[in-house]
This record gives sequence, C-alpha cells and structure tokens, in this order.
Amino acid sequence: MLSSVLVANRGEIAVRIIRGARELGVRTVAVYSEPDRLAPHVMEADEAYCIGPAASSESYLRGDRIIQVARDVGAEAIHPGYGFLAERASFAREVEEAGLIWIGPRSGTIASMGDKTEARQRMKAAGVPIVPGLVEPVVGVEAALEAAVGIGYPVLLKAAAGGGGKGMRAVNGPDELPRAFEAAQREALGAFGDDAVYLERYLDRPRHIEIQILGDTHGNVVHLGERECSIQRRHQKLVEESPSPVITPELRHAMGTAAVRAAQAVDYVGAGTVEFLFQDGDFFFLEMNTRLQVEHPVTELVTGLDLVAWQLRVASGEALSFEQEDVALSGHAIECRITSEDPFHGFLPSTGVVDHLDLPAGPGVRWDGGIHAGFPVSLHYDPLLGKLITHGKDRGEAIRRMARALDELVVGGVETSAAFHRGVMDEEDFRGGNLSIRYVEEHPELLDGAPSREELRVIALTATLLERLRASSPQATRMGTGDGRTGLSSWQRAVHPWSRR
Amino acid sequence: MRYFVSVAGEELEVELGDEATTVEGGIVEADLARVEGTDVHHLLLDGVSHRVVATREGKGAWVLHVGGRRYSVGVEDERTRTIRRMAGVGQGSGGPRPVRAPMPGLVVKVEVVEGDVVEEGRGVVIVEAMKMENELRAETAGKVRRVLVAPGDAVEKDQILVELDPLDGEDPTDG
Repeated sequence: MLSSVLVANRGEIAVRIIRGARELGVRTVAVYSEPDRLAPHVMEADEAYCIGPAASSESYLRGDRIIQVARDVGAEAIHPGYGFLAERASFAREVEEAGLIWIGPRSGTIASMGDKTEARQRMKAAGVPIVPGLVEPVVGVEAALEAAVGIGYPVLLKAAAGGGGKGMRAVNGPDELPRAFEAAQREALGAFGDDAVYLERYLDRPRHIEIQILGDTHGNVVHLGERECSIQRRHQKLVEESPSPVITPELRHAMGTAAVRAAQAVDYVGAGTVEFLFQDGDFFFLEMNTRLQVEHPVTELVTGLDLVAWQLRVASGEALSFEQEDVALSGHAIECRITSEDPFHGFLPSTGVVDHLDLPAGPGVRWDGGIHAGFPVSLHYDPLLGKLITHGKDRGEAIRRMARALDELVVGGVETSAAFHRGVMDEEDFRGGNLSIRYVEEHPELLDGAPSREELRVIALTATLLERLRASSPQATRMGTGDGRTGLSSWQRAVHPWSRR
Repeated sequence: MRYFVSVAGEELEVELGDEATTVEGGIVEADLARVEGTDVHHLLLDGVSHRVVATREGKGAWVLHVGGRRYSVGVEDERTRTIRRMAGVGQGSGGPRPVRAPMPGLVVKVEVVEGDVVEEGRGVVIVEAMKMENELRAETAGKVRRVLVAPGDAVEKDQILVELDPLDGEDPTDG
C-alpha cells in the first residue's frame, strides 16, 4: 500500500478521499488556496500546504506547484478528485514524469477519452453504440450548419474537450445555430482552454444511465452496476440513484459488458464511468469519465465496496480481489447534491457564510460534505456544498429516508437546493421511476417554491414573537401564549401580558 | 397589538392580544423557545413541532429558515405602519426599468446597444458565475436607455447593468 497521498482538490471530494486514505493508514497531504485556510479538507488532512490565492487558475489548477509540494514533502502519489486537474492528461503525464503515482488511469487513456470526438471514434471501433453524429470537431459556423442538416435537427453542440454541460447547447433549427455555436465555443474555451466543438443528434427524452467500472494494473476490469442520473438541469446532475428503476438484469449485463469493453479498449486502470443515454430500450455511449464521479457513493452503498480505497489499492499495484460474478447489488441508494444555488430563482448561485449547519443522521443516511458552520461560500469554486445519500432495502425506503433526512438538514446563511430535492421526493413521476433528462423542465411546479399556508403561518407567528420579544426582553429565550399546558413560568407570563390566563 | 408580516410576496396578520394570539384571524396556542447561544428556535404551534433558525437583519427584518428554505421576513406593528403611511413613504415611481445582476459575476457579453428596442424575454447581458453562463433577459419590452457595463466587468448582486425605457403607450409606473 502507498504510504502517502497528496489530494489535489478541495470541498467534499477532498474530504472523501482523505477519509478513505486515513482508513487505510495512508498519510494525507492537502493543498489549499488562501481563502481555504480553514476549509474542512485542510482540517481533516494530516498535513496542508498553501498553493496560491483564491482564483483556481492560481491555486488548484497550478499543477506545477502541486507537484512541487508533493516532491518537497515526500508524498508518493497524487489523487486529483474530480474537476480541476482530474481529466487533464497533460497534468497526469507531468505527475508520471515526476516519478509520482497518479491515482487514475494513465495519461494516454485520459487524453483519448478527454477528447470527446476521439472517444467516439474509439468506441465505435470497439463496437460500443454511440449517439449518431460527428466523430470530428467542426470548424466554423458554415460547416456546423452543413453537418446539422446531415444529422437532422434538433442537434446538440458539445465541447470536444469537455464535460459537465459546459460548452453544450441544444439547437432546434438553423436560425439558432450561429449564436449557439459562438456561445458553445466561448464556454468551451473558458472552461477547458480549447474551443473545439462537435455535433451529435439530440435525443428527445433519454434517460442518463452510467456504468461504474474498476480496473487494475493486471488487466482485470469489472463493472459495478449502473447509476441513473436523469434528473439534471443544464446537464448538471441533481439526483442520482442505483440501481436504475428501469434496468433489468439482462440490460445491466449488456450495458456492463459494453462498458467493460469500452474500458479495455483504452487499457483502463482505476475507477471510471461510462455514461450512456438510454431510450426505448437502446443505449448509446455518451462519454467516459476517467476519474471518480461525484455520485460514486450510491454505488458504494449498493455494492458495499469503497471506491476510494480501491483506487488507492489499484494505484499500489494490488489486483482486484473479486470477479464480476462476485459483484452483487443490495438494496437501493439515492444521492441529492446540495448546492449553494437557489432552485426557485433559476438556480442562481448564492454566496455567504454558512452560519448554521444541522446534518441529518440515523439509519441509512450518509453525508459527504465540504462545509462547516462559519465557512464562506464564494463564487470562486463549484457550488457543491455536500451530498446527502440514503440507502434502503428498496427504492421506496430509500426515497422515504431521503425525505426524512432532507427535513433534518439545515444549512443557514446561503440558499441551497435542498427544498427542490424535498419536492422531488414527493413528486409522482419520480416516485414511479418515470424519468428522463427532461424531468426538470417537465416539472416546473418543482421550481415554483411557494411556501404552504402552514409554513406561512409558522413564519408569520415566529417573526412576530421574535420582534416582540426583542422589543420587550431581549435576554429571554422563550415566549408564547402561555398557560398551564404549555408550562410557561409565571415570570414569562408577567413579561408578556398578552399571554392567555 | 396587531402586526403585519410580509413574506414571499404575501402579507399575514398576527395579533398578540391580551386575551389571545391570532394568526390570520384564528386563535392559536404558541410556545417559542430558543436554544441558548444559537439561532435555533423551536415553535410549538397548537402542539405541532417546527424548527426555525432565525437571524435578525435589522429592525423588523428577519431571515427565517423553515422547511429547507430561507425566507426574508418583514414585521411591522400597526402603529409603525400608520406613521410610515402618513409620512408618505413607499410611493411608486416611474422612470427607467433596470436590468440587474441577480448574482455577483463577470460580464461576458452585452447583447444590446443604446437605442435598441427589445421585446420581453430578449437576452440583454450574459453574466458568468461559477463557470456557467447565465443570460439575463428583459422582463418587459423597452428601449435601451443606457448600457452601464462592458464585457470583462465584475458586477455585484443587484447592480444595474442596463436601463430600459418603457415603450410608448405603456404605463411606466408599477403602481
């Protein structure tokens, strides 16, 4: 086993990796930007080193500084998490060349999968079904217009270098294409430093279903079942679950086998994800993410495997200790991404200091978080505050458990997406497993956010009592319409003359 | 004393009377207690349990966290309201309609120039925040009076980006 690992990330994923490493007795080294001095990952790691100011481009994206820290402090390996440098093949190669262990697939694998058009070519060659469309980037609006005719509208513009919805635009007709093309290029350039985009057919109501795979350095690759991540907004996943309510054992076998074939085609090592779009019983390769996914915990809960621990074992040269037929899915798990966004105002980012944090607990509940009370949420980084995950014996129990856990969660000081998730847990199509990636737009009522009559009454009464209390006796900690039954003491009644006698 | 509480675009009336407490005219039993040293409050409203995290923002202004959401709440007693109304505060005013930044961010593109006539829903400015582009649209039709930002500008929440003049024939006041 490795002796030490530097975690080149922040937030909940850095905390998750540090936890996994510490459980294996691996020394953990955090890096942080100046405003993250008191971030949870800094506190949880054995050691922490500052690598620059707030802007990611000057800190978490500074591969040179990160490698320097690893050398200076004798860290044996670098774990990139997701985002930031995780899918930059050039960084992985620099890590390899520095004589450090890269926790992830080889740089060559990342490069071939990071370029989405090359990935499509490779998958096609490996016999994995792909979404109809181009397998080369398109140069210029004219060429894009021409290609779109061949594919047939609506089409989807995508960044060749990208993922996560950045640089992605759906286009319904030729009149929309020039503007969308320009925006996609600009976003792709900003997010990935590369403005290459390509076109593929836009499927109307697919589900997003992905297969977790795990490979070792001895040539073994297994799949760990699927995750359904259909509930998305602007291609950002909001809710994920495993297993998918529509995947039969036969389909799981077919998709799992295709995913393993995809992984073997690029000599995959470590944890990875093969994403598919699924519609009318057919599945199409979307992309391969050569890293740990945000939603990995749902797979961990249903398979009982610790993916971070396996990443570290594989990076240490260990062979997988189990085979495909040993992988069994138990129960059902759901994850809600709790972000600092206001779901009732177009998911606008919210900033501020988390001034209060109550975390859910109890049976079948897991919180993978990257915040604590007193922590500032800024616009410099991803809005993901933490992930709430529940596990139940079946889907119904997992949903009811999630609803209960969301009721317990309080994040004060910033707006969060929690109330949106709470609405989803009660929504009929979700409960019935009737999902597609259009789920959010097909359920505008979930974005309405009008409080119930009862909530309004609670708010009105609480605010009035607080205002009155403040005016009359600021030190008091209790007030109400006291009588014998509510048990208020006599002084409280004396202080508050409106109390019923 | 009667109080008027404004929240989420609604106004509710609460009366803390000598005889009874009423919310929207209905008599209630209430017991509000605070966990000392914190903002955590617990309300028993007719025996039903509600956890509320409350912070004070100023006189009559609170932020309450209920049911997974934050609400900005205004509380005003009857007397204060009467005085304020007599002073004539709160008149609607005409003039240009601003397009404001809904969050802090970076201006990526300005899609209009002064003098443009825009329809309702037309994209006006693209602001990037947290690496995502957000297109801000005109809430009403209008003619662009002034463009106050340029690509590359960092903007604060609620900062005015573009001012629109209402089109002829429309009432410029909002009541």
